[in-house]
Amino acid sequence: MQNIKGPDDLQRNVLDEELCTGCGACTNLCPYIDMVKANAIIIEPCGLSKGRCYNFCPRSYIDVPSLDKSIFGSYREDIAIGSNIYVMKARAKDEEIRSAAQYGGVVSALIIHALQTGKIDAAVLATSSDGVNPKPTIARSKKEVLECVGSKYIVSPTVSKVLDAIKGEMGKIGVVCTPCQMTAIRKMQDSPFETGEEKISLGIGLFCTWCFSPDTYEYIRSLVGSANILKTDIPPPPANIFVIQTDERRVEVPLDEIRKFIMPSCAVCFDMTNEFSDISVGTVEGEEDWNTVIVRTRNGERFLKSAKEAAIIETKPLEKEKFNHLCEASLNRKKRALKEIDGRKITYLTIRDEERSKIISWNGGI
Amino acid sequence: MHVEIDEPGRKVLLMGNEAIARGAIEAGVDFCSGYPGNPASEILETLAGVAKKLDFLTEWSVNEIVALEAAGAAACAGLRAMTVMKNMGVDVCSDFLMTVNMSGTKGGFVLISGDDPAVHSSNSELDTRNYARFADIPLLEPATTQEAKDMTKWAFDLSEELGVLCMVRTVTRLSHSSGLVSLGPITREERSAEFAPLLGTWTSGSGDYTCMFHDALHGKLKTAQEKFEESQFNWYTGKEDAEFIIITSGTGWLYSAEAVKLLGLKDEVGILKLGTTWPLPEKLIAKHLKHAKEVLFVEEIDPFLEQNVKVLAAELAADIGPIKFYGKKSNHIRSEFGAGVGELDVDTVMRGLTETMNVTYIPRDQDYAEKAEKLVGSYAPNRSMAFCAGCPHRASFWAIKRALKWDGRDGIVTGDIGCYSMAQLPTGFMVLKSMHCMGAGIGTATRFGNLKRYGLDKPVIAVSGDSTFYHACIPALINARWNKSNLLYVILDNKTTAMTGNQPHPGIGIDALGEPSPVTPIEDVCKGIGVEVRKCDPFDIDEATQNLYEMLQTEGVKVIIFSRECALTEAQKRKKKPRVYVDQDKCIGDECGCMRFCTRVLNCPGNIWDYTKGKAKIDEVVCNGCGLCAKLCPAGAIIVEEVV
Repeated sequence: MQNIKGPDDLQRNVLDEELCTGCGACTNLCPYIDMVKANAIIIEPCGLSKGRCYNFCPRSYIDVPSLDKSIFGSYREDIAIGSNIYVMKARAKDEEIRSAAQYGGVVSALIIHALQTGKIDAAVLATSSDGVNPKPTIARSKKEVLECVGSKYIVSPTVSKVLDAIKGEMGKIGVVCTPCQMTAIRKMQDSPFETGEEKISLGIGLFCTWCFSPDTYEYIRSLVGSANILKTDIPPPPANIFVIQTDERRVEVPLDEIRKFIMPSCAVCFDMTNEFSDISVGTVEGEEDWNTVIVRTRNGERFLKSAKEAAIIETKPLEKEKFNHLCEASLNRKKRALKEIDGRKITYLTIRDEERSKIISWNGGI
Repeated sequence: MHVEIDEPGRKVLLMGNEAIARGAIEAGVDFCSGYPGNPASEILETLAGVAKKLDFLTEWSVNEIVALEAAGAAACAGLRAMTVMKNMGVDVCSDFLMTVNMSGTKGGFVLISGDDPAVHSSNSELDTRNYARFADIPLLEPATTQEAKDMTKWAFDLSEELGVLCMVRTVTRLSHSSGLVSLGPITREERSAEFAPLLGTWTSGSGDYTCMFHDALHGKLKTAQEKFEESQFNWYTGKEDAEFIIITSGTGWLYSAEAVKLLGLKDEVGILKLGTTWPLPEKLIAKHLKHAKEVLFVEEIDPFLEQNVKVLAAELAADIGPIKFYGKKSNHIRSEFGAGVGELDVDTVMRGLTETMNVTYIPRDQDYAEKAEKLVGSYAPNRSMAFCAGCPHRASFWAIKRALKWDGRDGIVTGDIGCYSMAQLPTGFMVLKSMHCMGAGIGTATRFGNLKRYGLDKPVIAVSGDSTFYHACIPALINARWNKSNLLYVILDNKTTAMTGNQPHPGIGIDALGEPSPVTPIEDVCKGIGVEVRKCDPFDIDEATQNLYEMLQTEGVKVIIFSRECALTEAQKRKKKPRVYVDQDKCIGDECGCMRFCTRVLNCPGNIWDYTKGKAKIDEVVCNGCGLCAKLCPAGAIIVEEVV
């Protein structure tokens, strides 16, 4: 309990430091905190010195060894991509899902499977009515899941919707979210506070290099005018572009042009591959219709097995070279994050000293 | 109603304001106007209640200057006209006052001003007697309920005789206390109105003409003074040739008489009680200054008599010899806040007497306050000043607070006079940071919102009520647009003039008599001015916050109307209120996730804390059933049940 502090500390250590990820873990818990433009705002002090807002926040503190222990039963052996049982390539078998999805459709296929088999009763996903701005939503059917396909690069307060789903007595809940959001959910599950977190039965984590702030929308609009935006995309390396597909044309923006809209909190992020998920899903280098899948927990492994047996997904091994590139990308992110954290004297991240020195001294290659 | 009893000589219990109304009725008033404001509001309400039966006209005017102009016109046309307002209303009407004094009147023309010593329901301790001197008009100050009636009646005669409007000054304690009044006959003289000014025009002229009118006004005042020398409202009591005298007026006379009696000084002290206080009855005063060696002044608020009598004493110095003067200047008459501030009472006068007359008296037991607290403490709930249960302003200011936090630029909120002024206090989350006169919220916001040139670049919100909008905000709104200001003007439209007792205004569709009248919608006025207007219900609190936030993000002058009826008028109309209760099993209480939000932050008088259970509960007697707390309760523990 020594780490548990209250809203004053949240203000000082997270919000004032511009570390809010906009995940929504501190909102929807009480009437004192609102989420505006992906930033938590404390309207009025509640007067408590210990609270869930600070406790759940993925930027107040992350004790990696302790989280590893509570989720995986032991500390990670893989310092590049975190605890995992196996890594592979996969894609949805259902053509309908695959044609709708951005890449291999694994996330949508798994969530639909979870809903159809009763693994979960509701899934918290991000949807978008304008092709750009995400909005967390609760899906309970294949149709509702398919309305949420496609990548969203602007931050979404998904965890606040998870809290909605818990309060709404939806039964077992699955969630698809970014690493910071998954961290918040795991902290919630690891917390002495009772919030109904035991209802969260499946966590599918998305790979994430960074998220854009909500202001990005206006910038994108300035590029495409009032055209109907179908999707946005950051193709896997080495493309290095941001793509806006409207019903009229395809606009490509060099990634460097749009980097200024990256959430400031992403600079200290240590986790690219969603290290606390049951199953993490991302793109595959150079392949547009497959996903990289990291199976991390026993829960995730059992569920993926059932999905394979039901022929929901098909899998292939991930090539060694591509796996290495994934690990390198992840280590790069960790190294950059540690530099930033040390440079700014931010203390939110606790990792083992041995791991820290390995990452800091890492100079490429696996 | 007692005010309409037509039995001369009968004694009835009347409130001071009713007595003033009765005086106007006995004078045969033909028209009365006013703008609501405590302590004067009940005068016009009382008159409006009998206006139909007695067949005369009344109006709630849109503001005090319009009210005085309307009454001036009726008086110019030869009718007996009166206008009533609170102290600060005289400020508003003073522009017209400073000219209609010279243009004169044909019918009796009376201005009633309600001063508010100790600021029971105002935000200024303005002493409006200064206006009488300033405007060279006769001033009467009643001391008792009987005098309130008699002086009002006489003011009409005096005004008619002199051809100038007369002012009657009351104070909160007189207006709101009741006393026995011996009734006079009700006269209903049928007058006909005509526009026939003596000189063909009704004007204060300009240039030399104005100087001539001004001089004529001084002449009228001279005549008034002569009449005042003989007035029945001035008298002297106590030792015939007392060396120590009190000069007093209004309620000060009652306190003085009681203080002298309690201190056993009746044989030593004389009291000169003045009812006609401008111009002063100089001969009468001179007569008593001659035998006095020491004078104590006892009067509410300013040292008005004190200064004017001292000037007179200087003129008479050769005849009357040296006199020691005590009062506010000497700090002998002072409240807990100081001299010339706050309200008089018997203790204050007794202290003044003991300090000047070498007598000892302890006005109160040392432990009086403690004893009183013990006695009262167990019965009176400990409550701070707050919006009523169910008041929509609570929601409005929570929305404003949230929107400003969302915006994050530390915005400024200016406001003015009404129930919503309490948003300076915790009940309004201390959102309001500026309050002055009617209309000053939008007026000051106009420039707070346009000082980028000097580095002030913050969002600015002005708030006003609906009645205030009509009263004083329209010119400022036009000015804001004209001068390219950036501000968001929030109009808290609760469909009534709430603070003063729910009088109607031009947006409601009824007049002072409660009869149908044309509506001037706030929205249409704002749209006509050309500003962006949105409208929403503050009880839809998320929508209200979102609207505010969005409007704060754009430049220019914008208006949002928070439309929701006053909880009090709504409660008067409906037959049943919803039942609101707390499901204490769901209530989180003081745990993380709530920390007593309803009782600690929202702080509606209907939300109370159950100390035995450590949970929230509803005071169902006080609760208005609005359901705001149920909407904001994070645990969904507050249940609103419609009662059929």
